[in-house]
Amino acid sequence: MSLDIFSQYLINCLMLGMIYAMVAVGFTLFFGVLDIIQFSHGDVLMVGGFTALVTYAGAQALGVANPWLQLALMVLIATALTAGLGVLVARYLVLPLKNAPPLNTLLITLMMGMVLREGVRLAYPNGSNPQPFPRLLPGGVWSVGGFEARIDSTILLLVGLALITGLHLLITRSKLGLAIRAVAQDGETARIMGINFNWIVLLTFGIGSGMAALGGVMNGLYYTEINFGVGLLLGVIGFAAAILGGLGNLYGAILGGFLFAALQTVGAVVLPMLSQHIPSSYKDVFAFAVVIALIAWRPTGLIAEKSTERA
Amino acid sequence: MAQLSVQGIDTAYDRIDVLHGVSLDVEPGRITCILGSNGSGKTTLIRSILGLTPPHAGDIVFEGASLVGQPTHRIVGRGIACIPEGRRIFPKMTVAENLAVGAYQLSDEAEVARRAAQVYELFPRLKERRDQLAGTMSGGEQAMVSVGRGLMAKPKMLIIDEPSLGLSPLYVKENFRIIRRINDMGITVLLVEQNVRQTLAIAHYGYVLSQGRMVAHGAAADLAADAEVRAAYFG
Ligand SMILES: Nc1ncnc2c1ncn2[C@@H]1O[C@H](COP(=O)(O)OP(=O)(O)O)[C@@H](O)[C@H]1O
Ligand SMILES: [Mg+2]
Repeated sequence: MSLDIFSQYLINCLMLGMIYAMVAVGFTLFFGVLDIIQFSHGDVLMVGGFTALVTYAGAQALGVANPWLQLALMVLIATALTAGLGVLVARYLVLPLKNAPPLNTLLITLMMGMVLREGVRLAYPNGSNPQPFPRLLPGGVWSVGGFEARIDSTILLLVGLALITGLHLLITRSKLGLAIRAVAQDGETARIMGINFNWIVLLTFGIGSGMAALGGVMNGLYYTEINFGVGLLLGVIGFAAAILGGLGNLYGAILGGFLFAALQTVGAVVLPMLSQHIPSSYKDVFAFAVVIALIAWRPTGLIAEKSTERA
Repeated sequence: MAQLSVQGIDTAYDRIDVLHGVSLDVEPGRITCILGSNGSGKTTLIRSILGLTPPHAGDIVFEGASLVGQPTHRIVGRGIACIPEGRRIFPKMTVAENLAVGAYQLSDEAEVARRAAQVYELFPRLKERRDQLAGTMSGGEQAMVSVGRGLMAKPKMLIIDEPSLGLSPLYVKENFRIIRRINDMGITVLLVEQNVRQTLAIAHYGYVLSQGRMVAHGAAADLAADAEVRAAYFG
């Protein structure tokens, strides 16, 4: 494999891993504070992407032509509104079911995902078909030796890295992060320490959903299109990544996201080399099969934390 | 006037009453203890005060205002801290972080650091281990973390639920010494214990719970000689 092809695979793998990680951290944060799975999380990401698209149309209608300004507006509005959506889901769907069987939360968030998906498909003009996402980052390529990468992908990767680092610092260094970890480790004792439990849960859902919106915008910018069903696959992959890393473990979720992307990339490269009859589109089959095997091998995730924490 | 006054509360888990018309007064600056055998409702009484399992009848008044119906973080904000049964330290946090959670409602970072320094003075061992994960420490050390964490809020009243449970005799003795020191700092103490003799030796006033009812109360010295206390424990 020549170096320029290798660099393409590498950048693509890192990009996918970043997006998966940004979805997976939401699953793991929500599970941390409430021990539940928010099954509409992938569709919340899709809503974030479409909110950015609507913001773009609005900015153009208002005569905002500078692509950086357009992008800033899209990111700000999409993140804020999607974080708000996450808070509403927590406040009106998840928290009221706190003492109900977990299966009810699973079902209600699953249905919420369908509402969001079908709602966007029907309400957005021509929503059943993929929508073009604007190319707002500078085009072009940079190269060092034979290694080359698109400038827009590189910017996205650096921004993603900054976001994940920022989330890490928020959780480990800030007072809010301390409260989130306290609620995740022992919600009742957190309350005894004077922490407003419900407030922390709402903020956690806001943060996780905001991250998903940013992942949605990154996904749109990278593929230059978005469709109403994008949250379905990204949701399943993000969930798988979170499980793989050990639900409740932030670094596990990030690791899981990059691992899944690596498996897809390996599948895309290696499968066609093994046999001409296996096209690279089998990469998802390969990646999910390996994940299933990994979960069967390590049922509590590659980094088991929650189980020992609860012991 | 009593600082905390529990007035005839009934408290239930899932509709089954565990406390029946329980009343109790805690005088400011004193050590008041609650005695009673396992399952008599001591922890439930504490949970009622903290709003974790609110009573469905009766009232709980702290410094003149009712606590019933208030969320736990507001009750804590009034100046009540708790060292819960079983210590309940945050295992995946360092000692320093556990202490920081104890001072959660305080936003003045310099004051938080000052209080942490006081806790480290009380427990030099915690200072040596401030960056160790609390879950990896011994039972006695975890007890220190739990007590230190409870002090970080600088509460007006500290509620302590069975602090010597599962500790070696040496630590139990140390624990009672610490509780007395906490009280000497001017903090009102409401202490739940199974260790009758040592508890009554440091308490000023005591109550005896039996099957969810308050069956006796009096000055600690009088209770020590009381037949009903002996009955609640030994017969
Ligand atoms: N979470 C709970 N749900 C249902 N019943 C409980 C719960 N906690 C305690 N109980 C019951 O309430 C009674 C009093 O328990 P508790 O207040 O823990 O007693 P103590 O602290 O004096 O040992 C016991 O009969 C116990 O079984
Ligand atoms: Mg108890």
